[in-house]
Amino acid sequence: MTLPSTPSPGLRPNSPAVVAELKMPAHVDVIVVGAGHNGLIAGAYLARAGRKVLVLEARDFPGGQLSGPRDGASFDAPALYPAALVRSEVVRELELDRFGWQAPTAPGPYVTALPDGGVLHLASSATDAATLESIRRLSSRDAARWPEFVAFMDRAAAFLDAAYATGMPRLPAVDWRAEGLPLAALGWKLRRLGRRDMFRVIRSLPMTAVEFTEEWFEAGPLKAALGALAVHGLTLGSMSAGGGYNFVHQWLLRGGLGHRTGAGPQALGDALVRAVQAHEGEVRTGAAVAQILVERQRAVGVRLVNGEEIRARTVVSAADPRRTLLGLVGAPELPPEFVWHTRSIRMRGSVAKVHVLTDGHHGLPAGTTVVAPTLQYLERAYDAAKYGEVSTNPYLEATTHGVVVSIHFQFAPYALRHEDWTSARATVERRAVETLATHFPKFAASIREVRSITPPDLEQQWGLTEGDLNHGQLILDQVFFMRPLPGWSSHATPIAGLYLCGSGVHGGGGISGHPGRNAARAILRHER
Amino acid sequence: MASYTFDAIVIGAGHNGLIAACYLARAGRKVVVLERRDIVGGAAVTEEIFPGYRFSEFSYVVSLLRPEIIRDLELPRHGLKILPLPSTVTPLDNGDYLAGWDDHDLTRREIYRHSPLDAEAYDEYSRVMARAAKAIKPIIGLVPPDPSSLGWRDLKGLLKLGRFGASLSETELYRISKLVTQSSADLLEEWFELDALKGTKAASGIIGTFLGPRSPGTAYVLLHHYMGEIDGAFRAWGFAKNGTGGVTAAIASSARALGVEIRTGAAVDKVVVKGGRAAGVALANGDEYEAKVVLSAADPKRSFLQFVDPQHFPDEFVEALRNFRVRGSSGKVNIALSELPQFTCLPGEGPLHRGAVSISPSIDYVERAYDDAKYGQFSRQPYMDIIFPSMIDRDMAPPGHHVMSCFVQYAPYDIEGGWDDAKREAFGETVIATIEKYAPNIRRAIVGKQVITPKDIERIAGITGGNIFHGELLLHQLFFLRPAPQWADFRTPLPGYYFGAAGAHPGGGVMGAAGKMAAEEVLQDWRK
Repeated sequence: MTLPSTPSPGLRPNSPAVVAELKMPAHVDVIVVGAGHNGLIAGAYLARAGRKVLVLEARDFPGGQLSGPRDGASFDAPALYPAALVRSEVVRELELDRFGWQAPTAPGPYVTALPDGGVLHLASSATDAATLESIRRLSSRDAARWPEFVAFMDRAAAFLDAAYATGMPRLPAVDWRAEGLPLAALGWKLRRLGRRDMFRVIRSLPMTAVEFTEEWFEAGPLKAALGALAVHGLTLGSMSAGGGYNFVHQWLLRGGLGHRTGAGPQALGDALVRAVQAHEGEVRTGAAVAQILVERQRAVGVRLVNGEEIRARTVVSAADPRRTLLGLVGAPELPPEFVWHTRSIRMRGSVAKVHVLTDGHHGLPAGTTVVAPTLQYLERAYDAAKYGEVSTNPYLEATTHGVVVSIHFQFAPYALRHEDWTSARATVERRAVETLATHFPKFAASIREVRSITPPDLEQQWGLTEGDLNHGQLILDQVFFMRPLPGWSSHATPIAGLYLCGSGVHGGGGISGHPGRNAARAILRHER
Repeated sequence: MASYTFDAIVIGAGHNGLIAACYLARAGRKVVVLERRDIVGGAAVTEEIFPGYRFSEFSYVVSLLRPEIIRDLELPRHGLKILPLPSTVTPLDNGDYLAGWDDHDLTRREIYRHSPLDAEAYDEYSRVMARAAKAIKPIIGLVPPDPSSLGWRDLKGLLKLGRFGASLSETELYRISKLVTQSSADLLEEWFELDALKGTKAASGIIGTFLGPRSPGTAYVLLHHYMGEIDGAFRAWGFAKNGTGGVTAAIASSARALGVEIRTGAAVDKVVVKGGRAAGVALANGDEYEAKVVLSAADPKRSFLQFVDPQHFPDEFVEALRNFRVRGSSGKVNIALSELPQFTCLPGEGPLHRGAVSISPSIDYVERAYDDAKYGQFSRQPYMDIIFPSMIDRDMAPPGHHVMSCFVQYAPYDIEGGWDDAKREAFGETVIATIEKYAPNIRRAIVGKQVITPKDIERIAGITGGNIFHGELLLHQLFFLRPAPQWADFRTPLPGYYFGAAGAHPGGGVMGAAGKMAAEEVLQDWRK
């Protein structure tokens, strides 16, 4: 049986009760490892195509980064991602609206504190009067350039979106019909931007945050506020090449600068679970995979930590590539060269989350607030990470819609050189609160309770190797056809029947759904 | 007001200008080279700074000079002699050293002494890098096509490029894509564990660049330095007899033999434009030269923003050139010595003095050197590449005495408060103090020292910003983006005005490729 397409009243979505309502399918075609958004999306697409899908989730609830810790603490920390703007084609094709998902539409404001106590208010719109006025106070020249900038960013993001939706072939052996033509079409899309923007896009991607912002604007606080987005989630500074790429990537994920407001990420997880279930798929939580079973270079199923073995023709892993290949498959099953390259995938998480329960009088504007006064400030924050230390003056991005203030903290490197994370946790919490309080004085007094998620927490609870939210750094040598590894961006692995569908593959990093969707399509093509 | 008529005027008697002139003259054209200084050579000059002591004032080693140029211009017949620079020794802080000799097995054994693992990796690393450099080399000799154009020349270029890509094996293709986008630190950490080995190799990834070894894009610069060869000995570095000025002297002599007129002390003030075409140049002293074409071998900023009135260029082009990054990051200290410095790690006069000494104990050391520079200071503990020209060519110094050439990074052009004599003095002192740590007798050996900051490079050699590559080797300033989109084929928006120096593809180093290709493009347009 399938579930009612909308949540039945009184029944908490995807609670064990709901999942239990389903009968376990007799045999399984596809096992998906990990019920994060990409795992669920891949599962939903495959189930929709008639495969018997079983999604296995180590934690007691699905959602991956769409959900918070849910560790029964006094207040529920929100999801790792403040908002989930999953691609519209995913929503359409999986009919997620039928399953209770409304994409967040309202563009959220993006605010940065100014030294004079005022704020710079940036809406990702070419015409927003408040934004233009706010910028004009800093520089009329910048205000005049803003509309052109926003228009360019939207075009650049749209192109990146198209690139993510295009499968990356294994070079040079390109299947011209299935892969070559889409690539050619993508090239044509780039050319269609017009000479000026085509070159702008090409030039922007490898630029540093400093170079990128300086080509557009002159006002320090504006450049810094934008530069923050260029280093967001990376272990790179405002003076490292490749910031331009991440800026476009973040703009695409958020649909601008600020996070969208509306339905939270958890609602997306719930809808995706329903989508899987609606097509006879099963999502089993509390089912941690210990090993992906391989026989004669072919994946034949998985073994759970409780010893149970489930066999299937196809195994799709939404876990990060290093964990999947070195952890769940194991080096002995893989070509030595491949193992070496997999070990070299740069993970390096350096993001911590600090969630603060306040009495509501924290003085922060609703939406997204950044603490990044200057481009140098961002670079200095990164310097600490380079040498394995927590930033003394961190770059912060705070999001709030009520009493809970969630702080994205950079940089808090996974690998600390001089202390361990048991002591560093307090350091991060203190610096997050103190730094935010210097810009929003009322904040300090409003605090009721503080709890944090460190990179090791991300590794242990979310299964993210080295606490890297993106399943691999979004650096120039780890994107497009080089993600996760050169030659392996087509979701396949050296193990026949084993595919990757997590953020660690092309299109990945953040809540877009591209990897899950691309993987499902690649699998269906391979199996044909 | 005197006036002269030629087929072609070449601005600047650096190696690129002279080489361009030679190729034009070989085609039977009447060519004059106009040099601002009283000596030819540009940044490849040998000067007697102190009586009896001769220095390769700026560029100090040779490797990248294209062999076909050496052949075509019969440079050996004109006195070009390149002496091998057999080794690189890196003194360690523990009093030991790490050496790379010209003999692969010796080097392997030397590395083994410190780390058996790295000795293993070294074999494969050398092979892989050599293969990658060989594979990418054809690009150097390729006129970059404009990917946005559908003109026959560009389509032909793109086709060539495609064929080149197809000619590469899968591994080569991926290795190159990685090398072009990676950071040199990431590259080397994949291979080695020895700090000194990683530090020394990473250093060639930052030369002439305003980035640290941990920034993406630096692995390309490293590869750039791998592309040299001497007498077919791939990636060997050498020292020119009579210093680097010996190279340009040979080219100048070859030029004169081909009937090229070289006029020194002839500083070009403006390019004369008649009827929308470059028609000649006007000198600072009022003299005017007329010619069918003008080819500038000066840096991009002067060639396009100073010599020519912006009204003759499209705004986009001018904007692109204004955004072109030319931040100088290196300095040079040339020292006259009464005796050789005694390095405590290898006492006595030895092979160390016949090769290069690299002050690069670790990647962190080099990265920290960059940290100072990016915040507007010269490195307190700089990276250095030191050679002793008098040990390779006795004629460089009086008998028994020596000259020492120290290439130093980082020294930012935009140092806080600007460069003055006091800062230059302090910079020189920092360099001496750094050497003293490894060679205590250095101070008493000093007869005289010339400290060159990026400002001095600009003042003496006339390179705007003092960047030794006429423009940083950043990913967004390479190939079809160098010096500006759509104008990477050595032509400019001003008919009759050509551009052939390090600021064009394939970039810096005493390579000559830009000068040669520019001349060839001029001749091609003439044939039409």
